[in-house]
This record gives sequence, C-alpha cells and structure tokens, in this order.
Amino acid sequence: MKLKPEQIDRLYQFTRQHYVEWYDLQTELVDHLANSIEAQWEENPKISFEDALQIEFKKFGVFGFMDVVEQRQLALNKKYNLIIWKHFKAFFTIPKIIITAGIVGSTFFFLKSLLFKADVVLLIFGIIVLSFYFSIIYFSRKNKKASQLTNKKWLLKEIILGRSSLVGITYLPIQIIIHSEKVMDNPYGIFIISFLIVAMALIEYIILIEVPRKAEDYLKETYPEYALENAN
Amino acid sequence: MKNSQLYKGSLNTIIMKLLEEQHRMYGYEITQKVKEITKGELNITEGALYPALHKLEAEGLLDVEVEKVDNRLRKYYKLTEKGTTETVNRLAELEEFIKNMQTIVNPKLSY
Repeated sequence: MKLKPEQIDRLYQFTRQHYVEWYDLQTELVDHLANSIEAQWEENPKISFEDALQIEFKKFGVFGFMDVVEQRQLALNKKYNLIIWKHFKAFFTIPKIIITAGIVGSTFFFLKSLLFKADVVLLIFGIIVLSFYFSIIYFSRKNKKASQLTNKKWLLKEIILGRSSLVGITYLPIQIIIHSEKVMDNPYGIFIISFLIVAMALIEYIILIEVPRKAEDYLKETYPEYALENAN
Repeated sequence: MKNSQLYKGSLNTIIMKLLEEQHRMYGYEITQKVKEITKGELNITEGALYPALHKLEAEGLLDVEVEKVDNRLRKYYKLTEKGTTETVNRLAELEEFIKNMQTIVNPKLSY
C-alpha cells in the first residue's frame, strides 16, 4: 500500500512541527518516513498511519530531527565557505591577478603618500564593514519576503542571501585598526595593510554581488528539487 | 548502527562502498541495504546516516538527483568523480586497518 497525497502533506507538517524549517530537508525526511511507513504496512497492514509514523520517528532518537538539522547547517555553511574561497582564489589567477595586483599597488602608493595614514585606513575599513552590514540586512529582508510568498525555505539560499555567519570578517579590521599605526611605520606594513584592504573589499564583493548573482545556479546544483519546484 | 565507536568511524566508507556498487541510492534504501547485507547485524541509525550523507555532499564527494516517485520527491545520492577516487583510497585504508587489527588481536594468524 502506498501513501496518499494528503498523508504526504501530513508528513511535511510533521517535519515542520519538529523544527525542520527548510524545504529541502523536509522533503528528504518525508520520503524517508514514507518509505518506512510503507514497509511497516507490508509487514502489518493493520497498523495505523500515525502509529507507524511514531515508530519510525522514535528511531531518530530523543532529539528527533535536531541532529540532522544541525549537521545539515554545518555542511551547507562549509559548502558556502568553499564557494566563497573558490571565487576568492579566482582573483589570484591569470588574468584577474593583474587587476588585483594593480589595485593593491595603487592602494599602497595612495596610503604611502598620505600624512594621516591610520585615519584613512580607519575610514576605509569603516565603510567596508558598514556597507557589508547594511547590505546583509537588505538581502535578508528581501529573502524573507520571497520565502513568505512561496512558503518554502531553502537553507543555502538563506546563507547566500544574508544569513552568512561572517562575523569573523569584521574582527579582522578591528585588529588592523588597533595595530595599524604601529604597522604603518614601514613600507612592508603599508603593503600588508593595502593587501588586507583589497582582500576585504574582494570578499565583500564576492559575498554581496558575485555569489548572489550566481545563486540560482548554486541552488539548482545543490537542490535539484529547487529547479523542479520553480518550474511548476 | 551497533552502538560502537568502531562502526561509527567507518560509516562514510560503508556509504561510499555501497554507492560505488549501486550507482545511486536514497537514504532509506541505504539503511535497508546495510541491514540486508549484514543480515540485520548492522543497523545504520537515521540520525547518523543523513548527517554523513550531507557532509560527504558538502565535501564534493557525492552528487544529488531528485525524482518524483509515488506522489513525493526522492533524493538520490551518487559518487562524484572525486568521490570515486576517494572511495578507492578509503577502502584501501580500511583494509589496511583490518589487517593491522587482526595482527594485534590474533597474532598467531598472521604468521
């Protein structure tokens, strides 16, 4: 005996009740539960749908789906970081490296020519960090509206469009600002600061513009069902 | 899975080995297949299987496909090219491990 569509709906509802927010994970768990219920029916046709569901759910342990959800978050965050890293590395390969080196060089000579270097560096990093936060807030709101429309949430989409846990990225400038005056006494220091400014700006560009622009491709690659759903 | 650290460490290798043989599988199928092969001796828990699959996927060792089966969407996993190479390595490593353990646990057999 196979599950009816309304029973599948009930399984989706069940995963939501057990704190599985994301549609991709809900779908996988729904199929798993459905398979198990059907297998139980083969052995014991009299068992009710709800009883069979509870039997299978118990196998996930006392924390239910929580562990699966947490690990999924970790895995996708890792995947996201790898994507960012891949894009970042691309700026250090031919031909892009010529532009990257040019920008680092210009920043270096610009800083070198200045009298109040530390103040300018502070200002630049201030702009980078603030624009980053504002953009993240803007993206998050936009994504929230989109998921309210479709009633489906995609974890990787949330990560790409603003839920990214890149607090670390703002820690670096703070450290640089604290030490910048000491470091910028010599050309090497100025060069390192120039490089870090460009690296930060690049990462911000990748996170805010480049990867979101390719978001659809990454989502389709990660979630084949994303393409299916959006085609319907 | 049997409540033992020994098995837990090999879960990824077990999954990869199965995918190497079967081409593509879905989560529930993997749990059943392991049960069938080991005649019920080894039981992969659901709470361990999906995290392992998702981790392998994030590492680029597995690829996913989705199909509509019986009113619902089913997610299949299969090895990527990188995954296939890695499976060979991990199996070799596991075999080496088994050999070494045998030498330690049962020294007479190895001579």
